[in-house]
Amino acid sequence: MMRTALFALPLAAGVLAAQTPAPADTTARRPAMPVLKVDIPPAGTLVAITNATILTATHGTIENGTIIIRNGKIAAVGKDLSVPAGAQVIDGKGKFVMPGIIDAHSHSAAESINEGSLSNTAMVRIEDVIREDAIGMYRSLAGGVTTLNILHGSANTVGGQNAVVKIRWGLPVDSLLFAGAPPGIKFALGENVRQTNVPQTPGRAPRYPRTRMGQEELLREVFTRAREYQAEWKAYEGAMAQRRKDAKTAEPLPPKRDLQLDAMVEILEGKRLVHAHSYRSDEILMLLKVAKDFGFRIASLQHVLEGYKIADEIAAAGTGASTFADNWAYKLEAFDAIPFNAALMAERGVKVSINSDSDERARRLYQEAAKAMKYGGASEEEAIRMITLNAAWQLGVDKLTGSIDVGKDADIAIFNGHPFAPASRVEMTLIDGRVFFDRNKAPTLEALIEAMKRRPRANTTSGGDR
Amino acid sequence: MRLTPAVRVLLLASALLPHSAASLVAQSDTWALTNARIQTVTKGVIEKGTVIIRKGLIEAVGPAVPVPADARVIDLAGKTVTPGLIDLTSSLGLPAATTPGAGGGAPGGGGAQQAQAAPRQGLSPERLIASEIRLTAADVKPLRDGGITAVLVSPSRGLFRGMSALVPLRDDADAGTIIKSQVAEHIGYQGGGGGYPQTLLGVIAYQRQALFDAQRQGILQDRYRSNPRGMERPENDPGLDALVGVVRGQTPAFIEAGNENEIRRAVRLAKEFNLKMTVVGATEGWEALDALAGRSAVVSVNFPAPTTVTGWSYRLSQRRAPGDSAASAREAQKMIEGNAAALNKAGVRFALASGGSREFLPNVRKAVAAGLPAAVALEALTIRAAEIAGVGEMLGSIEAGKIANLVVSNTDMLNDSARVSAVFVDGIRYEVAPPPPARAGGGNGPGGAGAPAAQVAGTWAMTLTSPQGPLEITMTLVQNGASFTGTMASTLGSQDISDGQINGRNLTWTSTVQFGGQSITLNYRGEADGNRMTGSAELGSFGSATFTAERKP
Repeated sequence: MMRTALFALPLAAGVLAAQTPAPADTTARRPAMPVLKVDIPPAGTLVAITNATILTATHGTIENGTIIIRNGKIAAVGKDLSVPAGAQVIDGKGKFVMPGIIDAHSHSAAESINEGSLSNTAMVRIEDVIREDAIGMYRSLAGGVTTLNILHGSANTVGGQNAVVKIRWGLPVDSLLFAGAPPGIKFALGENVRQTNVPQTPGRAPRYPRTRMGQEELLREVFTRAREYQAEWKAYEGAMAQRRKDAKTAEPLPPKRDLQLDAMVEILEGKRLVHAHSYRSDEILMLLKVAKDFGFRIASLQHVLEGYKIADEIAAAGTGASTFADNWAYKLEAFDAIPFNAALMAERGVKVSINSDSDERARRLYQEAAKAMKYGGASEEEAIRMITLNAAWQLGVDKLTGSIDVGKDADIAIFNGHPFAPASRVEMTLIDGRVFFDRNKAPTLEALIEAMKRRPRANTTSGGDR
Repeated sequence: MRLTPAVRVLLLASALLPHSAASLVAQSDTWALTNARIQTVTKGVIEKGTVIIRKGLIEAVGPAVPVPADARVIDLAGKTVTPGLIDLTSSLGLPAATTPGAGGGAPGGGGAQQAQAAPRQGLSPERLIASEIRLTAADVKPLRDGGITAVLVSPSRGLFRGMSALVPLRDDADAGTIIKSQVAEHIGYQGGGGGYPQTLLGVIAYQRQALFDAQRQGILQDRYRSNPRGMERPENDPGLDALVGVVRGQTPAFIEAGNENEIRRAVRLAKEFNLKMTVVGATEGWEALDALAGRSAVVSVNFPAPTTVTGWSYRLSQRRAPGDSAASAREAQKMIEGNAAALNKAGVRFALASGGSREFLPNVRKAVAAGLPAAVALEALTIRAAEIAGVGEMLGSIEAGKIANLVVSNTDMLNDSARVSAVFVDGIRYEVAPPPPARAGGGNGPGGAGAPAAQVAGTWAMTLTSPQGPLEITMTLVQNGASFTGTMASTLGSQDISDGQINGRNLTWTSTVQFGGQSITLNYRGEADGNRMTGSAELGSFGSATFTAERKP
């Protein structure tokens, strides 16, 4: 009974878990049904990855290197490090180790993606609708992905609040959120928002805006309202402060709390990162202008297929670009795309990431990144950064993850060959130093194929951009 | 006839208030049920005792209670008397959900407030179910014959569904006989109907905004009440007013949450707003024991299919040897039926409810077979249900002073062989005819246990009304016992039907369409009635839709 044997194997790491106090979520929460059990790796284990080729993403490649992981963080990285006593050793001989891959544009695991009923749905939150069991997320994990930026769709100008998650597979949904990630929001421009491709309901007025100039007007209107709302609250807080000094003052009435405007104010205050779905250079310049006028920064442009035309403007705005490697002409506004886009933008100083926007591509983002070397002549490390550190920067988590540097979260992918070699595949994926994917324990391909034949689940997304 | 104003007022008052004590017990007699085995639920079992019923109430109960001279005596030797069962998940007597109106939030408009200006189905927290219920004797009889004597009625869809009412299953049940109105505000996760909120994303944001609005409304009302001078009066908004009680913990919130993620969402909302919350459904409660600990729940025994259980797609992928699939399905079935047992073991105090299934008691028996102690199951069908509905002092056990809702059966109600022979509701006696010899089952109504699967083969003309507008679909079904396959053809192309299942008159199936560059799995639920079918479809991230279909000759 192969299965029983596999599931009965205590995790080698479990023996060592006593060394450090384990957070509360270490116990497997699934009932102990052998067939259905999901193993949850213990947290806080002392781990050493030895003798590996380490692609650090920041300071070159280390041959025969060792990574020491303590309490989920990278404690040391380099050559000739001694392995501390009691460490769980992962033999990296012949293996390539890179930072865990970060997908800056995903819709995995969201039970609903587009609240398209209004042109501004800043109040809706992806974190409310995540399910932890979406198989697409597991497949991404098997492709070395550790962090996902789960975005609202592109149905409306101001979409919902995104959720940055780590794929801590097997833990309850609340454990997936990336605690240190700043909040964000999705914007969208162009064709999808215009809804010119969406069949209209007879008898119902089409949703405003129907043009790109309408999209600009809507944004300016929304931010103008947000400023007024912000002023209302400031006045209220001022009056409350006054009252604390002088109790005889009448107690002011709090303004109505508006979840939509709360999010817009956070954008104005630089507390909420904007990830903007965009294609054409003209609409991108418009958005950068709106942001400048209202004094905030766009954190990332998503898709940005014409970014190479305005790379200097994007770089000057301090804005990141998250694009496809070579996906184009799937609609009118995607006709001017070129596979050199990523490398050309990077050359002009833009922080570029390659994203998936698809459960399928998310499994092989490392191959997508390699295309930036082939087409644009990006360096190997620059290409690695496009699926790691640059994406982390766009999500505001570059101090926490995205490279193999001391002090960062131990989010790591271990390959059996160079990640950019066509036949290489991921053997192990670690998040916070915990092995959440191990190919030796994963279901066989045959079993997966059988499972897929039976029933593809509802929440796997497919197709072009959202 | 000329009436003085005073008389007019009196007449009007009596018309509005028909539930005087006299009318409530009009049909009730004084009864003495003697020599019965009495399952009191709260005070143990009396092996041989008497229950006295007078004016709709239990006057006395015990092993040696004298029989009053005016009582009609029923000798129940060999019979068991149990408190009437209570089902807290019912939509009995409510008009079938119509296609949600196309009103609602104007496109491009603002937030919750704007959408509230034009109320839509499921967006009416102020809706009073007590004032809408229309029941006939034919509606209540099938349920009552199964031993159920009171049901909590609420709409089954929507995100703010209104205030439920606890209804006694008497032949003459109407607004005047209701046991308790405004039991709880019922909350769920369905949007749709042509405006904001359309999807789960919007539904949750809408709920949060509305509860924040209600918090503020409460503050404004308090201030205005204490001193209206110089203050702009708070807006008259019945919806918000209804929610003020909810955010203040005065009105219980019953949130319908079936799978693990819904349960966690409900608990998150309850924590954020400090709601007095009961999870209704909790069919995947065993996955969220940590979230449910210390909370109140109404646990449905309308068991989900293994394929719809959260996490199942991943678990299916873990099969490693031939035969594992069937083994996994059995394991999953055990977990599904063992849900109540797991919750009980974790210390969650819950009521059991039908969840709309016509197999209420048979499914409760499955839960018992899966490890739920029978005594707990019986409590969960009676006293715990009464307590969760806020009527623990009136219903749920056989004690002096409580309402005389009782079931007479040949043996314990949880035995497979239990047959109900009589039911008392408000002291009114209803005889239950023995089931026709051909049909097995525990006193279920038509379409209940063992009911044959509806015949659905053929070509159907379907109209699906979705937020994107109406869609004409030609559906061709091929039936194989209790399952079916087929195709659905429309302007969106032709799609195969998968997972087609028939349970009595109820059908479920799925299909996958490509729409707007997305692949959407549609989950259909229908009820067949001869050559007509009605139902609803969940459209993934596109919201939900309703449909009607007719079989082509």
